[in-house]
Amino acid sequence: MAVIEVINVEKTYNESQIKVTALKNINLTIEAGEFTAIVGPSGSGKTTLLNLLGGLDKPTSGRIRVGDVWVDTLKGSKLINFRLHHIGFVFQSYNLIPVLSAGENVELIMQLQGVPAAERRKIAYSLLEKVGLADRYKSKPSQLSGGQQQRVAVARALASKPNFILADEPTANLDGKSAENLLQMMELLNKDDGVTFIFSTHDQRVVNRAHRVVVLEDGVIKES
Amino acid sequence: MSYLKLAQRNLWRNKRRTLITISSILFAVFFAAMMRSFQLGSYSLMIDNAIGAYSGYLQIQNPDYADDPSLDNTIPQLEEITALPQKVSNVKAVVPRLETFALASTGNLTKGALVLGILPESEKNFSHPQSFLVKYRFTNQAVRNIVDNPNITEAIKSKVKILEGEMYPTEKKLADALGDEAIDTTVLNIIKRECHYNGRFISASDSEVVVSSRLAKFLNLNVGDSIILMSQGYHGSSAAGIYRVAGLVKIPNPELDNKLIYMPLSKAQDFTGCYNLVSYWAINLKNASDESLQNTQDVINNMLDSKNVTVKTWKELNRVLVQQIESDNKSGIAFLVLLYFVVFFGIFGTVIMMIYERTHEFGVLISVGMQRKKLATLVFIELIFMALIGVVIGMGVSMPIIHYYHVHPIALTGNTAKMMVDMGFEPLMPMAPFGPYLYRQAIVVLVMVVLASIYPIRRIIKINVTDAIRHR
Ligand SMILES: Nc1ncnc2c1ncn2[C@@H]1O[C@H](COP(=O)(O)OP(=O)(O)O)[C@@H](O)[C@H]1O
Ligand SMILES: [Mg+2]
Repeated sequence: MAVIEVINVEKTYNESQIKVTALKNINLTIEAGEFTAIVGPSGSGKTTLLNLLGGLDKPTSGRIRVGDVWVDTLKGSKLINFRLHHIGFVFQSYNLIPVLSAGENVELIMQLQGVPAAERRKIAYSLLEKVGLADRYKSKPSQLSGGQQQRVAVARALASKPNFILADEPTANLDGKSAENLLQMMELLNKDDGVTFIFSTHDQRVVNRAHRVVVLEDGVIKES
Repeated sequence: MSYLKLAQRNLWRNKRRTLITISSILFAVFFAAMMRSFQLGSYSLMIDNAIGAYSGYLQIQNPDYADDPSLDNTIPQLEEITALPQKVSNVKAVVPRLETFALASTGNLTKGALVLGILPESEKNFSHPQSFLVKYRFTNQAVRNIVDNPNITEAIKSKVKILEGEMYPTEKKLADALGDEAIDTTVLNIIKRECHYNGRFISASDSEVVVSSRLAKFLNLNVGDSIILMSQGYHGSSAAGIYRVAGLVKIPNPELDNKLIYMPLSKAQDFTGCYNLVSYWAINLKNASDESLQNTQDVINNMLDSKNVTVKTWKELNRVLVQQIESDNKSGIAFLVLLYFVVFFGIFGTVIMMIYERTHEFGVLISVGMQRKKLATLVFIELIFMALIGVVIGMGVSMPIIHYYHVHPIALTGNTAKMMVDMGFEPLMPMAPFGPYLYRQAIVVLVMVVLASIYPIRRIIKINVTDAIRHR
């Protein structure tokens, strides 16, 4: 069974009188182990789609299944709990909690899940090792470069043992080399550990590395 | 990583904002505590001056005396009452008094007077009238001698001319009257010598009287002169007598200074025919708090149950003072409420700012799986942290200051001081001792912080995650 199934989804923003249809007639399935890029120009609906997949927002119509749960029907603390256990998030920037060290940021997710302190420390350490930052366990986000921060964010996303990781333009604020490093690391995680990645981008160099490309244009899937 | 630690780090992150918030809470507690302490301190000084130094915190009276304070509503001089200080632990002192109005005349001058029969020895530790005894007076002769003295400057001479007739119980009051600047000691000594006024306070066995200074001035009385008193005595009998003046007293309360004549109790009883009777007993207490006042009143009432007397508190006897304090207290509390409002909006503002600055972070936290309630709790802990620190430091700073000014009251000077002295009050601004009012300030400020956090914390609970993440 596909990890994600999107059926006839439409999303309309109704704020401030002007109706904006951000997504129209979206049908999409994503299988476990995919390394998929959602591609499209700015304003095409990438963020909106990822938000819906992650249960951060609700479709105006249509249905979204993650694993065996219809996320469009989840609400309140159940929905937050679902995100905590099933979905990993990486945002464009300023992902990390500034007062927590890199290690503590990774630990935080496990603490929310109720993992005992000693165990989460061990896991956090090994996750930071995986993203190549084992020696920065104690560093505060402000002491890390943008690329390093995004790698910690990936480690944090992995900490919950999610079904998949959603990353909204994770490289948008990085220079070319850092972006390249981050993508290599993600690819490695995908290949070695089978982590499913869904990330959005409008950078052609990033698109080139994706195994599958979903092209969005004006809220409609042109190609997938 | 516990929430407490996380809260602590969040506070540390924006040190300036945290410090501003903490200091606003600190100052609020500080100002509220200081203000309240000054207020309560001035009330208890007022009460001490008006009540403790004259009418007493409790009085034992004939039940009808309050409605008709005449000699017919007197009470016997009971042994049980004299023994009260030994029997009731909160009673510090008790004195009997016999009060009656009389016409006082000398030659062709006559004026209404209040004759107060007292036990001079007991009264020394109660209303201490002997401390008001006039020791210096600018008599005609004194003023003339000073004006003729070549060693005294013109400035002082002109002041002395204005002061002709004035009387002073102490050297300090005499010196104060001469001006705010310190005068040369030799000059002061000359003036003291010239103004020195003989006179003594009465004792129980005397048959003389002591007259208040304004009354004496009106009647043109001096020590050694005689005064004729006429009045109605017990049950309509007529009372009359002639008494020698042993001394004059300058009573701080101007109204009393206009009419009071002290007479030994037994002579007053002879004068009025009220043998072995007194108008009332005045009682001073060791602890005069509302609660002790009530308790002691009840205890004494029970003890004297069979005697046809009643015990009244100063609040029942002196409604004017009670009202004066109450109305002042109301404006004081209004000011405090204003202060609390300022604190409320100060804290409200910083909290709103803090929430605004951290919106993105909150969005990320909720996205990755932190429950909204947990997040709200975290922020609430941060606020309570700041509030507690502010309150504790605020109390810590105020308490020594309050204690200091309780023990060493601020002495007022200038016109305010003169006005207070003229009204019979000590020119002091003491602070109240520690009491529940202090902790109440702390609690109110804490409550203000909690109230100021309600709306911002509700906003965190309702925050829109996608908007919050987009927020920079
Ligand atoms: N909260 C919102 N309210 C109103 N319109 C929105 C909101 N979020 C996105 N949009 C609109 O929806 C469309 C898609 O936006 P978005 O999903 O952010 O695109 P992308 O991430 O590809 O740049 C845009 O036209 C955008 O203006
Ligand atoms: Mg976007």
